[in-house]
Amino acid sequence: MTAARLPRSPIEPVNPVLNVSRSANLPHVPGIRVGDYIFLSGMGPIDPLTGERRHGPIAEQVRTTLNNVKHMLESTGSSLTRVVRVHVVLADIADIAEMDRVYREFFPVDPPARTAWSMQLRFGNGCEIECVALGAALA
Amino acid sequence: MSLPREVITAPLPGIGATRAFDQPASVAVRGGAFVFVSGLTAFDPATGAAIRGTTSSETRQILENLELILEAAGSSLDRVLKVNVLLHSMLEAPNMNEIYARFFPEPPPARTVCGARLPDGVKVMIECTALASDDGR
Repeated sequence: MTAARLPRSPIEPVNPVLNVSRSANLPHVPGIRVGDYIFLSGMGPIDPLTGERRHGPIAEQVRTTLNNVKHMLESTGSSLTRVVRVHVVLADIADIAEMDRVYREFFPVDPPARTAWSMQLRFGNGCEIECVALGAALA
Repeated sequence: MSLPREVITAPLPGIGATRAFDQPASVAVRGGAFVFVSGLTAFDPATGAAIRGTTSSETRQILENLELILEAAGSSLDRVLKVNVLLHSMLEAPNMNEIYARFFPEPPPARTVCGARLPDGVKVMIECTALASDDGR
């Protein structure tokens, strides 16, 4: 079998404020596209206007984070409906019900496979979310 | 060209539990060449009822269910590429390994194990990425 060599390219958010890894000089990119597969870095509750972390109630943090995930996917021509796998990491496992409540607003139909758990997070974030998605469906 | 995305529905009612219990996740999704399976906890595949036991018994139940889910997705345990195992305590890793080793034929998939806080008193959670079937379904 001869596998074609897939092109690998970093994802650039349309809104440069959300390129947190660049502004904070972290050693990762926001996401990588490999052929029609998209791998996003773990994202946190960054205010898309200011670039500051929004550490309010968990529902608000999850909503901000998922809106940022949405933006990142749309920046590469994909969308939330093309997500296949999600990791949701919470700082506090007790927040899982509240996270779910907001999460389902973003994935109302045929949601992706998901794993959610809790462990220590950096920067005081209440949640961090990463995903794998596919490129855009044909119109 | 656009890769297919397909939510996997399993024939056993309990495996549709994520839907039956109104969880905001699909038990597995096929995306292109891969099948992504959600983090599974131990449940009865016939009824979907949660099963809480030891790390060993939960591991066994999860991997039995995983096999059924992969089959429903046109894949199988020998096509699993990567497994993530989350344990309520890393002290339980040998108990998990003893059961785990019985399920995967040689060579077993790549794997990461870590200790984590899990919901609802769960002791083990296992997710995986597998190759979809060759037949392009």
